[in-house]
Amino acid sequence: MNVLIVEDERQLSHEIEIFLTKQGYHCDVAFTGKSASEKVFVNSYDFVLMDIGLPDYNGFQLLKEAKEAGRDAAFIVLTARGSIDDKITGLDLGADDYLAKPFSLLELQARMQAILRRKHGLKNNTIQIHDFIMDIQNRTVSFEKNVINLTKKEFDILHYMALHKNRVITRIQLTEHIWGDVLEEDYESNYIDVHIKNLRKKLAAFANSDFIETVRGIGYRLNMP
Amino acid sequence: MKLQVKLALYNAISKAIIIGAFGAIIPVIIQGIVYNHIDKRLSARLEKMMRMVQKGGLNEISLDQDCSFDSYNVFKEEYVSISPLPGLPKDFGKRTVENTERLIENEVLKHRVLSQAFLYDNQLYEIEIGEGLSTVDQLNETIKRFTIQILLAVILISIFLDLGFARVLLLPFNKIINKKLKDVQHPSSFDATPVKTSTYEFAHLDRSINEMMQKIRETFQVEREFITNVSHELLTPISILQNRIENILNEPGLSNEVMSRMVETQKTLSRLTRIVKALLYISKIENDQYSKSDEVSLDELSYEVTEELAERIEEKNLHVNIDFEQPFTFYPCNRSLVHTMLFNVVSNAIKYSKNDGSLTIKGNREGDMFSVSIIDSGIGIPSENIPYIFDRFKRFRPDDGMSYGLGLPIVKSIASFHKIELRVESEPDKGTHFTMLFPVQLS
Repeated sequence: MNVLIVEDERQLSHEIEIFLTKQGYHCDVAFTGKSASEKVFVNSYDFVLMDIGLPDYNGFQLLKEAKEAGRDAAFIVLTARGSIDDKITGLDLGADDYLAKPFSLLELQARMQAILRRKHGLKNNTIQIHDFIMDIQNRTVSFEKNVINLTKKEFDILHYMALHKNRVITRIQLTEHIWGDVLEEDYESNYIDVHIKNLRKKLAAFANSDFIETVRGIGYRLNMP
Repeated sequence: MKLQVKLALYNAISKAIIIGAFGAIIPVIIQGIVYNHIDKRLSARLEKMMRMVQKGGLNEISLDQDCSFDSYNVFKEEYVSISPLPGLPKDFGKRTVENTERLIENEVLKHRVLSQAFLYDNQLYEIEIGEGLSTVDQLNETIKRFTIQILLAVILISIFLDLGFARVLLLPFNKIINKKLKDVQHPSSFDATPVKTSTYEFAHLDRSINEMMQKIRETFQVEREFITNVSHELLTPISILQNRIENILNEPGLSNEVMSRMVETQKTLSRLTRIVKALLYISKIENDQYSKSDEVSLDELSYEVTEELAERIEEKNLHVNIDFEQPFTFYPCNRSLVHTMLFNVVSNAIKYSKNDGSLTIKGNREGDMFSVSIIDSGIGIPSENIPYIFDRFKRFRPDDGMSYGLGLPIVKSIASFHKIELRVESEPDKGTHFTMLFPVQLS
């Protein structure tokens, strides 16, 4: 998987690069719109992560040009401007997704995987989690023939942990994933504990749910072989 | 008092004074002129009489037995009388004129009388020539009556005309006030087209308001740019830190101690992020950067919000009751903002609820508003704190490291963006009654 990171903030593009490389992506970096434009047209990428606020180039313009040229890379727009108009403009111009800075790297990876699923129209839209089967299309989790009645948030949490299996996910990361757009006074992370507790209880009614591990003082991990 | 009423009253009073003064002076002048004419006439007659006396003596005029002579015309308007005088008057030879009332054949009549003493045949006589004043008095009376009638008519007509004229005159003024000041929600929606007027002062006012608005608009523009810049300049470094922490947490072989400190750092950073985002959010609302074109069913939204908060409600084992007397659709509004407002209020109510308490969302029409109340049975707010609950960064509880005192300020700015009125009543230990009054569009 080839990814082009278009981001003029070098430290940020570096962190994204470190993360994605670890996840097995092959990363290329462009710090200016000009070099990004050249790279998009010369190389073939699966993903272009693009900052809209580039100093020398309007990111939307670049997006438009690339789309018109028929490049089939998936575009994810990154912006710190956080305006709804930006989001709409980006999606109208054919961006596949939109992330407002600051974003979690886990969230970025989850979005990239979702795009892959959509693009390649994966027939097998299920994840096997130990004895349970998660159907992403229909948003259900089942054990053998029994569909387990999970709330929307419980499903989202399990899905997010399955995407990042064998990796500790902090409460903040989980909270930001399920309450992402909500701007409220405080979202205390102990609500996450409540969700996890309920999730474990519901799964344990059918089979062992010990694969959801509590990492003390840090967060949770979904262990899978 | 309205300017047009003041102008009309001023005009009416000034006209009344002028006409009143004329009404008072004209009878005096007319009287003077008429007396003058009468006096001339009387003198001429007196001279004629005296000539008659000199020519033919008093014998010509048949004297009565008492040696006097009286002659009246039919209507007693004019008369001549000659009567002997007992002694020599002090002002002998002088003519005197006076207005007197005379009893003539059982009728009291006012006359102007010219009299003179004269010597004839060694006998002192006095001749009097009179002319009735009733016509003159009548004339004066008529003029006075006429003046008063004209005065009243002029005042009435003048008030009506002035009111009408002033209204027309002030039309551009009212238009300027409404269009340029009252109806302006935000400088960006200000319409600078000059209001049509031929009055210099109004054009001047209009120009001045336009110039002022232009300045305000520029200031807003600067602030908007500032917000965009700040959001970019703050959120980018936060972004770097957040991603770096995530990468560090992913490093193998970190000690638990380091891990949990990194998690604490992540929490702090998350708090910083939310403060910046909340401040930007409030600024954007206050700068009118949200569209207002959605319609939202508030009863449906209440169910939606309690559904989203179901876990927290469940955790506290709250009894939720949603009770709308009638469905209500609020428009025009921004759905996302109204959602955030209701969400924050309900989540606040849950947060300060006691276990096994109750939470009621009630909706009903209240006059020309629709009222939505969120009633909890929680710990309540001491009355001395209620005026400050919408202040930014105000917290009344010990710092829990997660809340930052911007939840209700967000609610407040969303409410004022939509002209929603907020009311809070609370009693410590009993609960809080949070009411939002939505304006109802009358169509």
